[in-house]
Formats: sequence, structure tokens, C-alpha cells
Amino acid sequence: MTFLVGPSGAGKTTLLKLINREIRPTQGEVWIDGLAAHDLKASRVAELRRRVGVVFQDYKLLPRLNARENVALALQVSDLRVSDQEARERALDALEAVGLGDRGKSMPNELSGGQQQRVAIARAVVCQPPLLIADEPTGNLDMDTGWAIMDLLEDISAFGITVLIATHNIEIVTRLQRRVLTLVDGRLVRDQPAGQTGRMAWLASS
Amino acid sequence: MEAVVKNVFRYLFKGAARNWARNLGGNAPALSSMALLLFLTGLIGLSGFALMNLEQIQAGEASVLHVYLRDDADATDMFNLRNQLARDPRVASVNFTSKAQALQHAQSIPGLPQLASASESNPFPASFDVQVKSVDQVAAIDAMARTNPAVDPTYPTSYDRGAYQRIQAVLLGVAIAGIAFLAVLGFVAVMVTVNSIRAAIHSRRDEVAILQLVGAPRWMVRGPFIVEGAITGSLAGAAAGLVTFGLALAGIAEGSASFSQFAPGVTISVAAVAGAIVFATGLGLGSGSSLLSVRRHLES
Repeated sequence: MTFLVGPSGAGKTTLLKLINREIRPTQGEVWIDGLAAHDLKASRVAELRRRVGVVFQDYKLLPRLNARENVALALQVSDLRVSDQEARERALDALEAVGLGDRGKSMPNELSGGQQQRVAIARAVVCQPPLLIADEPTGNLDMDTGWAIMDLLEDISAFGITVLIATHNIEIVTRLQRRVLTLVDGRLVRDQPAGQTGRMAWLASS
Repeated sequence: MEAVVKNVFRYLFKGAARNWARNLGGNAPALSSMALLLFLTGLIGLSGFALMNLEQIQAGEASVLHVYLRDDADATDMFNLRNQLARDPRVASVNFTSKAQALQHAQSIPGLPQLASASESNPFPASFDVQVKSVDQVAAIDAMARTNPAVDPTYPTSYDRGAYQRIQAVLLGVAIAGIAFLAVLGFVAVMVTVNSIRAAIHSRRDEVAILQLVGAPRWMVRGPFIVEGAITGSLAGAAAGLVTFGLALAGIAEGSASFSQFAPGVTISVAAVAGAIVFATGLGLGSGSSLLSVRRHLES
């Protein structure tokens, strides 16, 4: 697990968008799991996105689908060979893994913010991508729920999925003591290995 | 394989049909303008077909040259004239009409029986009816035939000078006006459909963004919008095609004699083909318009 930190406007979200090819770099290269994201044709972008799970601050769940269908959608649109039954079972497994095994039939508006974020995480990892990127995943959540989400992301990281989190939350960054990449004005100014993040007083003043 | 078919049907067609029905209010202007365009296309197409047939009939009639023979014409002269005309490569056929046949024909024309009976003798001359291959060459054949000694010097020949050209001029005008009218209406229908799909894309931009983020291939994101356009086009085409077919059918059934006179060649099968073409045009126009809209308004 790696944190991406920096003041507002430093380029954290931009970097995540470059990784997911929501935007194309004007210069330089972006390589994801052997794919040249910077040079990918529009018709092949979906191929890249299947290798990158994404979690947003505002969850981005489809309101007309229940929790299980939201997760199953990611499975079936990325691989049409997945049958309804297989999608249902794998979606329920993913929901089980994020602690929502009993809420599969709940619509997004029936779930709390934390629960919606868990569904979003289940959707992001159900295809078992090598990389998970999260943009302020705790930004809309209270502290306790935020910690629960971070615990979940740590568990996912422990399963071998690379997790890259853009965040402003100093407490989380300092307490978890993971690798921290600091961006300022679009440049990487610091790369602190896990366990050496210190108090990060500079971030508090940003 | 079954799962693939099921998923493609669900995400491409079922989703599109559901979204189309949900956005019926937004699709209604496109549906009605396209139905109107297609109906008028069918009507203009059928009229054009009838006019083309009419032109063929008129061209056939205008290219017949009647060469009137003197009552005292020498049989050898007549024989030579007939041979000369029949051998000419510009001539398709030569038929002889005797004085008696000419009288019989005249009596079938309104107004002429009285004229025919007013005279004690038969006033109608015998003639060679020369079918010229091209209407443009009738005048040349006329010039060649009228000087022959077997030909009546007072009233040597007759043909419908300029009739064909007049019909062609009218047809050209009608065609230009029809095409211009359809082009304007087509542009309006395409723009209305493009904008209705644009509105659909705008109203579902979050859904589109989510599909793109979870790795949906491009065809799965764009496809439903194109199918929605195809639904609009095919429904408009089906409605307009049925109305076109129905009107033609009613015309054929109600007044077959007069209808075939002002719309020659328009039969039930022609009307059915016209209806099918209108439907196919609607399908193509709807799909094409939405493809245009998707390419312009949907980011990949």
C-alpha cells in the first residue's frame, strides 16, 4: 500500500487519472502492468481499466442497481463470458469479503456512506486487478468509518493487490506508516519508505 | 457462448430498449419528425415511380410517327416507302393502318364519330405508323418520309412535337423540388435525432462514466445509444411504411381505373416494396444519426 500526498492542486488526482487513462499525458510515459497507458488507442482503454480497480470519494454506484448488481456489473462488462450465476456468486463473495454479505439486495440509497464505499471497493476488486487506486476514499466518511475502510484496503493490499491511495488525511498516513509519495506542483518531491513517514508536520501546514 | 449472447442482449439491446422507453418524452420529437419525413419520402418515391412510368409511356407515344398516304398512292411506291422505313436502323417497327382501320379508330375517339359520319366517304387516310427507337430521331425520319411520292402532300405526317420534352422539363422540376424538400426535412430529422441522443448521453453521463471506469468496452458504452437511435428510426419507419403502403393499397382498391391512369405501374407489390424501403431507410437514418451523435458527444 502506498499513499500519495500533497497540497491541493499538487496533481494527486491528475496522476490517478493518468494511471486510469481518463486523461492522456502531454509528455512522458505511463506503464501499468506492462501496458503503455500513454500510448493506448481509445479502443484498448477498457483493457487497461480491467487491470485497475478504482475507488472514489463519492462511491459512484449506479443508483438503479442493488449492491450485488453493482458488483456483478463490473464482472460482466469486463468479461461477457461470465454467466449470471457466476457473477452473482462472485459478487456475493466480494461483498462478503468487505463485510456486506447480508446487504446484497440493498439499493445504494439504503446504505450508509461507509457501506456504499465498501460496495465500491468490492466492485473495484471483484475482477482481481493487480492495481487498486483510491482517490480520497475516506473523504466523505467519519473517522471511525474511515478507519474501517483503511483496514479493508490494508487487507486487500495483504492479498497482493497494489493499493495507491491519494489522501489529505494526515492521521491515517502517519499512523499506518506505509510508503508515502509526496507531490508538489505536479512533481514528486519526496519518496518515504514504509515505516519512515515521521510526523509529516509539513503536510499539516499545507 | 450462451452467457455471451445473454450479456450482449442485456447490455446492448435490453438496456437500450428500457432507456428508450424511459426517455420517451425526449424521443417523441425525433420519432414524429422522422416518421413525417419517411412518410413523405415514401409518397414522393411512389409518385416519382409513377411519373417515371408515365414518362416511359409518353416517350413511347411521342416517338410514333404517323406517315399519311395518298388515297391514289401507287402500290409500288407504298411498298418502297415501307421497305425504306423498315430498313432504317433508327426505326423499331412499321405498321400499316388501312383507311377502314383509321375510320374504326376515329369512331372510338370522343367527338370524332360525328365528323366521320358527316362525310359520305371515309375522310381518314391510310398510314404507316412508324415506331422510332429514340424520340429525338422522330423529326429526322419525318423529314425523310414526307417527300416520298406515296405520301399525302397536304397532310404528310403527324407526331407529338415537344410533348416529351415538356414532360421531361416538368419531371426535372418536380424531381429537383422533391429532392430539395426531402433534403431539408432529412436534415431536420437527423438534427432532431442527434440532439435527442445527445440529451440521452447527457442525462446518463454518470452511468456512462461508471461503465467506462469498470472497463466496459467501447461498443458496450456506445452501442446502447446507437440501438436507441435505431429503435427511433425503425418505429418511425414502420409507421411511415405502413401508412405509405396503406394509402397506395387504398388508392389501388378504391379506384383502380383512375388510379392506374394517374399512377401507372403502382401495384400492390410496388407499394409493399416502397413500404419496406421506407422502413429500412428509417432504420438506417436512426442508427446513422445516433452514431453521428455518439461520435460527437460521447468521450471515449
